[in-house]
Amino acid sequence: MGNTWLRLAGAALVIVSCSGLGFYMASQWNEHLKTVEHLRKMIFLLKGEIVYANSPLAEAFERTGRKAGGQMGDLFLKVSERLMGQRGESFYGIWQEEIDGLPKEVCLSSEDKQNLKGLGEHLGYLDTGMQERTILLYLEQLDLSIDYLRNHKQEKSRLYTSLGIMGGLFLTIVMY
Amino acid sequence: MERKDELINLFSKNVREILNKVALNFDEVQEIRLRVAAPLMLVYRNEEYYLTGSGNISKKLEEAYHITKNELKETMEYMSNYSLYAFEEELKQGFLTVQGGHRIGIAGKTILDESGIKTMKYISFINIRLSHQVKGCASPILPFVYKNQREVCHTLIISPPRCGKTTLLRDLIRQISDGTREFEGMNVGVVDERSEIGACYQGAPQNDLGIRTDILDCCPKAKGMMMLIRTMSPRVIAVDEVGSREDLDAIEYVMNCGCKLIATVHGSSIEDLRQKPVLRTLLEERIFERYIVLNNLGRIGNIDQIFDSRGTQLYQANIFGTGVRPDRQESRAYG
Repeated sequence: MGNTWLRLAGAALVIVSCSGLGFYMASQWNEHLKTVEHLRKMIFLLKGEIVYANSPLAEAFERTGRKAGGQMGDLFLKVSERLMGQRGESFYGIWQEEIDGLPKEVCLSSEDKQNLKGLGEHLGYLDTGMQERTILLYLEQLDLSIDYLRNHKQEKSRLYTSLGIMGGLFLTIVMY
Repeated sequence: MERKDELINLFSKNVREILNKVALNFDEVQEIRLRVAAPLMLVYRNEEYYLTGSGNISKKLEEAYHITKNELKETMEYMSNYSLYAFEEELKQGFLTVQGGHRIGIAGKTILDESGIKTMKYISFINIRLSHQVKGCASPILPFVYKNQREVCHTLIISPPRCGKTTLLRDLIRQISDGTREFEGMNVGVVDERSEIGACYQGAPQNDLGIRTDILDCCPKAKGMMMLIRTMSPRVIAVDEVGSREDLDAIEYVMNCGCKLIATVHGSSIEDLRQKPVLRTLLEERIFERYIVLNNLGRIGNIDQIFDSRGTQLYQANIFGTGVRPDRQESRAYG
């Protein structure tokens, strides 16, 4: 009798944890979308600072970081701080290092990070027009990412949650 | 941040290391010059020196450290704070102003379009002119500049380059704005076309221009003078290096508005001004009430002569640098 209860408890745990994993994966997809959308807003703010206010990079990153907040805002603030420190490092080097140092909780794929690093490659180079074009190019990439994440949001959420539940049930049956 | 650190951070890594080893008082360094494939030079106490790789100053060319193209490029990146695009307008005029108020003159290949100079590339020559504030250097001229306790005269400071006319103007503005024991402070509007007077960095003046001073930074003089009168109601307007026809119109506008004007101009004497068509008009129309002529003998802002609007000499420096007032000597410089 005791054994049956133990088995039932085990089965329930497996089903709950597998379903939880499914829900977690689905929520990560949403979180990823939110992060990319937030990043897009930040890049728009950055564009305004650079193109209209004609602010140097350190100042533009600082203002954008403060306005945007969150972990991505912190990234901008850290970059600004290092630029202002004038320690003899290149902007691209600082930018890459700070992106690599982003906390693991930040929902960005390696491809997103690669694109974000690419933005820093040409920032600060030549005139304001060049800055604007570099930012617009990156915004196009972000739009593509956002479209993909939005279009597949429902499908992926359903897939992950049902896979989690079904996987839990399957494991339970196999183990029973 | 100390003045030396603030300055050193503007240079490429190698030059930073050299300047770090330099055991000079940076308050007395006037210029640092970088040219591609040429020696690193420094002007200290009015003397030019080469800098060696080990951070010593030398007069021997063979000991000098030579600047490479990459070092210049790196230096430009740091000087513009990685944002050369933000200095487009300044680049057209050939200079940047950095934190600390230092003026960075640049030269290279200019790119032209229909409207004139579009930008500059292949920047191969950099001249860093260190900003200096000499508080109190305008004190000797204050009694000549003030008409009475509450009113100043229209004043023109005439000076050859590197004699300290901007330094003198800066201190004059500060003292007029703050006021002194004898004279009360008044609102001063400054049109700082080349960011040289206030040396504004991100809008904040790096030099002390007094508590009642409003600054229009990087604004063309003629437009700026009119804007200030309409918006900030100054009692005194100060500008550096007047000389164009447009400036003359704006000067007349300022004077007709009841504002007092303090300006500087390049020249070595009153006679020198006569050779320049626009400035000759200023003299002939007796627009200015005081002409202060500087010379390059001795310290910065050394006053050579002071004249009133009719050309009567009010002050003459003697060979010892101490001035005398030729009160009864009606020596006329012009008119």
